[in-house]
Amino acid sequence: MTVLDIQNLTVQFGGLKAVNGLNLQVKMGELRCLLGPNGAGKSTTLDLICGKTRATSGKIMFDGTDITELAEYRRARCGIGRKFQVPSVFKELTVIENIEIARSRRPGLWAALSTFRTPIRGRVKDVLDRVSLVEHIDTKAGNLSHGQTQWLEIAMLLAQDSKLILMDEPTAGMTIQETLKTAEIFNSLRGEHTIIVVEHDMQFVRQVAQRVTVMNQGSVLADGSIAEIEADARVKAVYLGH
Amino acid sequence: MNRTNKYDFLGYIAFAVIILLGVPFLLGFDGFELNTFARYLALAMVAMALALSWGTAGLLNLGQAATFGIGSYVMAMHLKLAASTNNPGGMPDFMGWTNVESLPWFWQPFHSLTVTLLAGLLLPAAVAGLMAAFMFRGRITGVFVAIITLAFMVALQLVFIEEQRFTGGQNGLTGLAPLSLPGWTVDTYSLSFYYLVAGCLIVALLLGMLVVRSKVGLVLRAIREDASRVRYFGYDVASYETFVFCLSAAIAGWAGMLYTLVLEFASPTYMSVSFSLAIVIWCAVGGRESLVWAAVGAILVNLAEGRLSDVFVEGWLLILGLVFILFVIFLPRGLYGLALAMVDRLRGAPRTDATLPVKEG
Ligand SMILES: Nc1ncnc2c1ncn2[C@@H]1O[C@H](COP(=O)(O)OP(=O)(O)O)[C@@H](O)[C@H]1O
Ligand SMILES: [Mg+2]
Repeated sequence: MTVLDIQNLTVQFGGLKAVNGLNLQVKMGELRCLLGPNGAGKSTTLDLICGKTRATSGKIMFDGTDITELAEYRRARCGIGRKFQVPSVFKELTVIENIEIARSRRPGLWAALSTFRTPIRGRVKDVLDRVSLVEHIDTKAGNLSHGQTQWLEIAMLLAQDSKLILMDEPTAGMTIQETLKTAEIFNSLRGEHTIIVVEHDMQFVRQVAQRVTVMNQGSVLADGSIAEIEADARVKAVYLGH
Repeated sequence: MNRTNKYDFLGYIAFAVIILLGVPFLLGFDGFELNTFARYLALAMVAMALALSWGTAGLLNLGQAATFGIGSYVMAMHLKLAASTNNPGGMPDFMGWTNVESLPWFWQPFHSLTVTLLAGLLLPAAVAGLMAAFMFRGRITGVFVAIITLAFMVALQLVFIEEQRFTGGQNGLTGLAPLSLPGWTVDTYSLSFYYLVAGCLIVALLLGMLVVRSKVGLVLRAIREDASRVRYFGYDVASYETFVFCLSAAIAGWAGMLYTLVLEFASPTYMSVSFSLAIVIWCAVGGRESLVWAAVGAILVNLAEGRLSDVFVEGWLLILGLVFILFVIFLPRGLYGLALAMVDRLRGAPRTDATLPVKEG
């Protein structure tokens, strides 16, 4: 079953079509990797899906509803979560407070007025264990190491528990071990969640991806299994070749 | 939740005890002194209201005095009507002088005490809500919020001064009757009146602290840091911002009503730029991140003003400005930040930086 269906999507910045007639279908529970040279429009595609950028034309269907015109918080409520390329946790808040913000089952004002604490059990505990931050729940996020900050952000996405998770270069700046651990987490998420990952690290892509989409100049260049992609001459020319 | 909240709660208890027991005792239960201190408490309430929106969400309402002023006029209208029952048509004296034919429709409802008390809270909230809806749906933030709210206040003050026939103009509303509650005609120089004002402040602080401690407070602090990130977690940022703006305005209106009771008149100076800036200074001195400390800041600065402005009649505003600048430079988190740093030092814990500025919204 297709959960995300992007039809002929275009966005124009001045004279530049950062995304140009893009068509992309992602199935429920799939983990899709998005590759492409710098400036190919990968981040912009994620921006369009989560609502950071509005499309000039085209259509985005998510879970059977047209979300093309929805405000970003409404898309989040539909079940779309996003990790940005630049780590963005709330530095002034503690680890557990960051998780509490992310754990937004009931994001309405009135529900929030009657919520005084998020108990550390169930999914919250699970998530903190997974990224080894249980010991640090009262640490201000601004005082975490770079690696821990990355984990916190991944933990926030897990706590948010979105149907569709969009990740922009999640392993950037990670050590090999950290990258492996991230790959492990991703593999355990597939099936339950649908994930789109933008990633440069081919090692990582081989470990997690079922299907890979290669973008170039705002549209899809090639699409297939990792083996097919690595054998594709056009892809070699624009991306893997150098 | 987090540590600072725990301290805030202890601070709140200590503050309540001092206000309810310490102050009346120290002042020797003297009616005049208590009245003066009740004035500080009403001002502490408006400072705390500003801290609610500025400190938690980073929304600096430079027009806070506008909502305070609306509250004070609402109360004054009620008391003025009570003082005018023997006038022709039950009209306030100044209306007679300016040839108003009959009591205008918008004065009529203020005969009722219930309507007055409700209006004193809800009118400021509604006005703030309108402004907030316009600003926050349009994603206006930071310094633009300050400019728009300031401009609104200046315009409102002008209306109150210009429409002399209905508002008493430059003189404001004077010659008010004492407030008559069921079974109690309020004597503003009594201990019970002091407790009325102190009780209101303590209840308002509790309300504010509950909001700050709830998830709403957490979301607001997250908004202060990165509003757009908060949206991607599904929160409607504008509705949170609007809520805190309205609540802050309602509390400011409440404080304004008390202020009219204390001073026994309402004046357009309550909506002036200098008064609004003074509120900002009290907040900055106390520490805008904490409601209780913002209240303390207001009390301390006004105490100092009460003692020093006789000595430095001309220079007081200059001194106040200087104090503000010194705080911004050396103690940007105010006395609250200083207190936090001292507590941490006593516990030998890693030190909280009293001088570290909080992120501007
Ligand atoms: N907000 C924007 N305004 C103008 N140009 C933009 C904006 N966002 C992205 N671009 C441009 O669109 C192109 C695609 O960018 P991006 O999606 O970030 O590429 P990728 O993530 O694949 O490296 C780039 O040329 C970039 O400069
Ligand atoms: Mg990118």
